[in-house]
Amino acid sequence: MVRVKNKKISTSKSGVAVAKRRFVLGVTIPLLLYLSVSIFVIGWAFLLIFFEYSPTRRGGPFLGLGGSNPFVGLGNFVEMVKGTSIETRLFRTSLKNTLIFAFVVLPLNLAITLPLAWLLESIGQRFKTMFRTIYFIPALMSSVGVALIWMSLYHPQYGWLNQIIRSFGGTPKAWLSDPTAGFMGVPIPMWAVILTYLWQDYGFNLVIFIAALQGIPKMLKEAAMVDGANRWQTFSKIMVPLIRPALLFVCVMTMLSSFQVFDIIQVMTEGGPGYQTQVLVLDIYKNAFRYYRMGWAAAESFVLVLIVMSVTIFQMRVLRTKWEY
Amino acid sequence: MKKLFSCLLGVIFILSLTFIGVGCKEEAAEEVAAPAEEPVVGEKTVIRLWAATNPAFLAALQALVDAYEAEHPDVDIQMEDFDYATYIQTLQTAMPAGEEADVISLFGSWISQYSERLAPLPAEVMSLEEARETFYKAPLEGYIVDDILYGLPQEFNCEYGGVLVNKTKFEEAGLTYPPEWKTLDDVLRDGKALTVRDASGMMTTAGFHFTSADPISASFLAGIKQRGGDYWNSDRTGFTFNTPEAKAQVEWMVNAVEIGVVDPMLFTDETNFVIDAFFSRNVGIGYIGAWAITDGKMRFPDFADEWDYFILPPIQGDPVFVADSGWGLVVSPNSDHQDVAWDFVKFATSVPENAIQFNLISSTIPAIPSVAQSPEIAEQMPWVAKELDILPYGEYLGNMPDRDLIMYEIIYPHLLRVLQGVETVDEGLEAIDTEANGTFK
Amino acid sequence: MEISTLSKATTSELTKPRRSSLKIGQGLIYFILIAGLSFTLLPGLMMILSSFKTNLELLHIPPTFWPEKPTLQNYIKILSDPKLPLMRFYGNSVFVAFFNVTSTLFTSSLIGYMFAKFEFPCKRILFGLFMTMMMIPMQITMIPNYLILAKIGLINSLWGLIVFSALDPFGIFLMRQFCETIPNDLMDAARIDGASEWRIYWKIVIPQLGAPLATLGILSFMFNWNSYLWPMIVLQKVEVRTLPVILTWFNTAHAGQTAIVMAATVLIVIPILIVFVYFQKWIVQGFTTTGLK
Repeated sequence: MVRVKNKKISTSKSGVAVAKRRFVLGVTIPLLLYLSVSIFVIGWAFLLIFFEYSPTRRGGPFLGLGGSNPFVGLGNFVEMVKGTSIETRLFRTSLKNTLIFAFVVLPLNLAITLPLAWLLESIGQRFKTMFRTIYFIPALMSSVGVALIWMSLYHPQYGWLNQIIRSFGGTPKAWLSDPTAGFMGVPIPMWAVILTYLWQDYGFNLVIFIAALQGIPKMLKEAAMVDGANRWQTFSKIMVPLIRPALLFVCVMTMLSSFQVFDIIQVMTEGGPGYQTQVLVLDIYKNAFRYYRMGWAAAESFVLVLIVMSVTIFQMRVLRTKWEY
Repeated sequence: MKKLFSCLLGVIFILSLTFIGVGCKEEAAEEVAAPAEEPVVGEKTVIRLWAATNPAFLAALQALVDAYEAEHPDVDIQMEDFDYATYIQTLQTAMPAGEEADVISLFGSWISQYSERLAPLPAEVMSLEEARETFYKAPLEGYIVDDILYGLPQEFNCEYGGVLVNKTKFEEAGLTYPPEWKTLDDVLRDGKALTVRDASGMMTTAGFHFTSADPISASFLAGIKQRGGDYWNSDRTGFTFNTPEAKAQVEWMVNAVEIGVVDPMLFTDETNFVIDAFFSRNVGIGYIGAWAITDGKMRFPDFADEWDYFILPPIQGDPVFVADSGWGLVVSPNSDHQDVAWDFVKFATSVPENAIQFNLISSTIPAIPSVAQSPEIAEQMPWVAKELDILPYGEYLGNMPDRDLIMYEIIYPHLLRVLQGVETVDEGLEAIDTEANGTFK
Repeated sequence: MEISTLSKATTSELTKPRRSSLKIGQGLIYFILIAGLSFTLLPGLMMILSSFKTNLELLHIPPTFWPEKPTLQNYIKILSDPKLPLMRFYGNSVFVAFFNVTSTLFTSSLIGYMFAKFEFPCKRILFGLFMTMMMIPMQITMIPNYLILAKIGLINSLWGLIVFSALDPFGIFLMRQFCETIPNDLMDAARIDGASEWRIYWKIVIPQLGAPLATLGILSFMFNWNSYLWPMIVLQKVEVRTLPVILTWFNTAHAGQTAIVMAATVLIVIPILIVFVYFQKWIVQGFTTTGLK
């Protein structure tokens, strides 16, 4: 740290303030552009909620709203809460499925990645890099590619999964199309999709946790051992709390992406069988483009954004504590 | 600082308003502007053609494009295709911005929804009466909205009554080939003989696969009509799906599944779709429209079994069925070359020598009676000749408020669940009736 | 200080493991890790093996593991298809990726730095706007975004893809988190020395951000490379399409020919795999510091 003569400090303080302001202004120009696009887009998406809109209809002069895209006010929301039409039914089913998906994926993901990261940390340096790289590979593939591969694995007649089951003498199942089977109240196709998603996704969190664990000084681990803690206690009482910031990041991002899952489900099941895997974004897509009901889709998106935001804020509150070494 | 930032925020809002203005201007411009006619002097007129990525259709369209360009060397038609699953998304994103192509391949039953963004067929190109005389009624009806014609069909989409038949499997099972089906019971009998299960009891070959979305709906609606019922009410303002005729038809389907010709858990629309399963040797008799022929040939070039296409006998009486219009060509009002675009559309769809090319290459049923009855079709697509007998019985689906929703999210899912045993016949029909009527707002 | 001396003294004794239990412990750990590895690799293995089989072989019941007659015909078919000049699409993808990644890195670090270290009114609201944009499903935002792009005239241009990805809320979020940990003293000192703000950014902030920049770079590259729907809608003409769009389109056109589909998928993954393996050292370092914030 360079110490400076008093004279310099006094003059440069205001100079610094000016320079700062100019810098901020300079940076805000691209920001302005993006923000105006953002506001435009968000505003349009918000306005849509109050209309029956489809891009296939011309509608009124203002961005296609009005005219043959009539104004319905809060009609869409009323329908969501009180309606009995098939759209409402599908909306409720999709909402339920989305919540199931997100809240099942998070604990499973944590249950896999956290212990795995800890195990990886315990082994020697030699193989660490190799393991890390390989575990991360699924995350590199495009969702469509992942979906195609797993569809092939799950195929009732040609898939490897059923073949493995057959060779052990079990009964093969139609993993993606059997609506009657379930496990712990969740339909089998939903589990199949969750498994695929986990496979693609856990590499991310694994690498983050590894890095976080690496950041804990060895000293603390050893001190705990000296105090007589066994491996499990070291893990749960010391290491887990210390990686809280990483935990928060992982929880928020995992939830965010699992609420927005779309590609995998569209390719693998299209929401079937019998809407057991239909999630909200899939319903939004179908309503927006197939059923010419983009206003309704916008209303559904609004609900989705609200939910995601609440969950994120909640997570940030709960996991907020700052720990110092 | 604060004042400065309030200014900045003000700027942001002004910029946003400009974007909104941009949006408005686009829309307004579209309404007001008359299509510009550019005189072509020594330069090629370029028009774009959009289609979904269906290899058979693309090949057929390409043949038409080549033929037109050969006759009109000053025109260059550029074909751009898009993934089928997201074709409608591409269209609907491009349309508000006016960026869609000059000529678009569109499905007839959708026209009533897209009509505001399509150019009406100019009377000089073809009048409504002329069109009615040229084309079959069922496909053409889809392109007419409020007595205005918005395009012309290229095919007669008939999902009813045709089946792919695997000759090799027939002979392996010792069944008579070609099959002589007098009634549907004969079909079910053959189907049962063709079904194969593996050691664990899982069905690996479905003898008679009809449980994908289009076949189920086609069979359902045709079954209602053939028994003398209807699914519309008398003034076409509502549906009547919960009728004795409908129930009888669904019970027939349930019976077929119980006999064991197909397993609706394994053979649906998303898994083991009729075409994919048939050309992978997993189906003996596959219920699907004739367009599957070229589609299958192109996507499964290694399929080695012998096979052919046959027509099913009706449930009873005349083979009345419901037809869904068909794919055809439309023109965008934003096109700078509407005259050329319409000229191409007329060339491709209504001139028999050209229309036949499309049908031959894509194995679709012609939308023009004279083409359907021509000797070339009879020679190269013999099943069309067989279908000719039933084509006149085809009735247009009717302008439903939301055809895709009703077919794919109401009829198909409920019928499939009934067949899978998740819903009873009564529950399924009741649900279909209620939900379909709910689409009338 | 006591603890450390204590630990130094007793560590060696307490943590000196008994040979046999250590071996079992380590063995168990390795076993679990390798099991995990197999689970990770199995689908990938299937993909690769399938790509060397013929379509027909993939229809065997029961399915085979090793290819009966390994063949390169799937790859040859893709690489020699006249409608697929792969080098050109590869070039398009690289072009877009390069500009996307550089502009994302630049703008994210700049704006993240600004959010982290400077105060100005409505900061929270502006940040909130960014976050909201991330949460709205793309089906809804597609049409207005496309409208704007059309107005600027960037449909069918690779620049159209680049322009919109230049500002990435996720990147800004990431950079902000990390910038917050840069000690203020560094910048204050430079200010006192008379350095301009831009210089401070270039010479002090950026070097500090080495690892997270690498992370953001690779993540941004990954996302752009695999991005399929938006590029397909924006790039209507085949010549300007990017590699993954083309290959995914190819897959749909050949749906049912699983072997070819697997081969195409392999071809999409290879470039990004190479980039990843090469940069993976940086990535992990980047994740180190990122996750902790």
